[in-house]
Amino acid sequence: MDDEGVPGGMEDGVRLRVFRIALTARRFEERITLLAKDGEVPSGLHLGAGQEVCQVAALAALRDDDPMLYGHRGTAYWIARGIPLDVILCDIACRDGGTNRGKGGVMHVVDPARGVLGESGTLGGNFVIGAGVAYAERYRGTNAVTIVFFGDGTSNRGQFHEAANFAGVQKLPLILFCENNGYGLSVPVEASTAVVDIADRAAGYGMPGVVVDGSDPDAVFEATAEAARRARFGEGPTLIEAKVNRIGGHWLADQQRYRSDEERERVRALDPLPQLQAQLVERGVLTDTDVAAMEAEVTVAVEEAVAVMRSRDLVAPSTVLEGLYAS
Amino acid sequence: MTETLVGDEGRRLRYSHAIREALAQEMRRDDSVVTFGEDVGVYGGIWAVLRGLHEEFGDRVFDTPISENLIVGMAVGMAMRGLRPVAELQYADFVFCAGDEVFLKAATWRYAHDGAFALPMVVRMASGGSGYGPEHSQCTEAYLMHTPGLRVAVPSTPADAKGLMTTAIRSDDPVFFFEHKNLYTVSGPVPEGEHLTPFGVAAVRREGDAVTVVAWQDMLRRTLEAAERLAADGIEIEVVDPVTLSPLDTDTIVTSVRKTGACVIVEEAPRTLGVGAELGAVLMEQAFDSLDRPLVRLAMPDVPVPAAPHLVDALVPTVDDIVAAVTKLVTW
Repeated sequence: MDDEGVPGGMEDGVRLRVFRIALTARRFEERITLLAKDGEVPSGLHLGAGQEVCQVAALAALRDDDPMLYGHRGTAYWIARGIPLDVILCDIACRDGGTNRGKGGVMHVVDPARGVLGESGTLGGNFVIGAGVAYAERYRGTNAVTIVFFGDGTSNRGQFHEAANFAGVQKLPLILFCENNGYGLSVPVEASTAVVDIADRAAGYGMPGVVVDGSDPDAVFEATAEAARRARFGEGPTLIEAKVNRIGGHWLADQQRYRSDEERERVRALDPLPQLQAQLVERGVLTDTDVAAMEAEVTVAVEEAVAVMRSRDLVAPSTVLEGLYAS
Repeated sequence: MTETLVGDEGRRLRYSHAIREALAQEMRRDDSVVTFGEDVGVYGGIWAVLRGLHEEFGDRVFDTPISENLIVGMAVGMAMRGLRPVAELQYADFVFCAGDEVFLKAATWRYAHDGAFALPMVVRMASGGSGYGPEHSQCTEAYLMHTPGLRVAVPSTPADAKGLMTTAIRSDDPVFFFEHKNLYTVSGPVPEGEHLTPFGVAAVRREGDAVTVVAWQDMLRRTLEAAERLAADGIEIEVVDPVTLSPLDTDTIVTSVRKTGACVIVEEAPRTLGVGAELGAVLMEQAFDSLDRPLVRLAMPDVPVPAAPHLVDALVPTVDDIVAAVTKLVTW
């Protein structure tokens, strides 16, 4: 780590951390899926399976409090920033002990001190809010880099154009990080998007556009670190497009009739999480015993979070009017 | 940069200059205040409200592209991170261009995140008027008043324009600030130093006992003119200016109606579900036993605002309309 709290480069300690957080998110969301199927929590979560390694590797290249407007797919963004599992689960379950007390649910987990600012339920809103955040950080001289996560589908919102253009004009310290998983809910990207690489759009906004393999944490980390360096040195925004795969459906209820069995099988075989695990074992960073121990620790942590969530009350209806106005 | 007119009532300023003075004073006082929008930099804004500010404050007054989602969305993001942005939308109709950011972000994000941050932002907009066409003429305050999470200021006098702008900038909540085009050049007394007008406190602009008339901005101006004509016939109306529509001071309106027993609401917007409909419902709930005559709404018919000034004149309540409505109630 350098003196500003940013990893100097990708190394095994960072890879290990990426693996642990991605694994935690995966097991956590598998448990949340069971809770949702049992009717114990609402089923609004969009699973991150297949995209966690990419999300965590990107965040590993930033400071722990760099402002983030996160995407809607999964819990890894919050776990990477250190929000406890039980807090996240209480938000999902609309119980006391979460960050938004049932007001925003799973879409609005928030912790400004950790840079976790929110997510536009309408998706494209992240871009323009992110531009404002980046402007404010530069104005206040914080040297922070703002990252906006979004999917291929969201890249077609008008706000993408408005924010990317002005970020280019103003050279805002902003990273536009696209997780292209090939689908906007059910619609394949080629049916919705006129370019193969969304990163190509960067040329229209006077910023670099970079395509990376989202299953390769090293590539994601290096691209994000370079974008952050540019941003911190006043060189302006970067559009990163990580090619990823969505292993599950859009949401829990999605039967994925628009995808062939073959494709779903192929995507499952490309899961970056076991790939990273194999890589770390092969390089001697982890042993199989370590992996088993880590799995056990994660299971304990997840069950502890479930127990905490179950011990909490549903948010009291008497609080429903609170939080609207500051004065 | 501010034209000072000295008259019998002390220092007088134009409405537009009063807004500028408030903004300039707040920018001198607080580095976190920035202002931006289309053509607001060197040009000073198409309504010239910000003229001269770029010279004094440099990059704190900056131009944006024609990107209303960006203008309001940036204000939200800036406000979340410690700034006090004052954004300009050239026309109040443009809240619809920025609908996601106005109705779903500025309005809901503090609530959705359970107060994890405040949103101290102001969106200035020019509203109303004649000759601007269907997409540049609307008084859109009812839409914003209907939306929980937003504050809505409707200054009618130069003093309130300054005082409400100062209060708006210091507010920790999103304020939508309506500047009526027909009022920009109206002059009136304006306090020179720090001047704050509280939100949620209606003003009784004229006392009387015949009928209560509620009006704001250009309709208030017309109502006060009507009041003079009615007074010549011995009819003294009470004129209430809500000053802000959110928060709404219902107490002052109800108190006045309890005194007069009758109410006319004058509105420069379509009649259906307008501000007048809400005020009327409030009076039914809170002053039913005091109303001894039917409630009257003077509003525009439910059509878009046409471009031709003479057609607009056929739609917007006039001084004659107000005089006629009051006279009818008095002789009920």
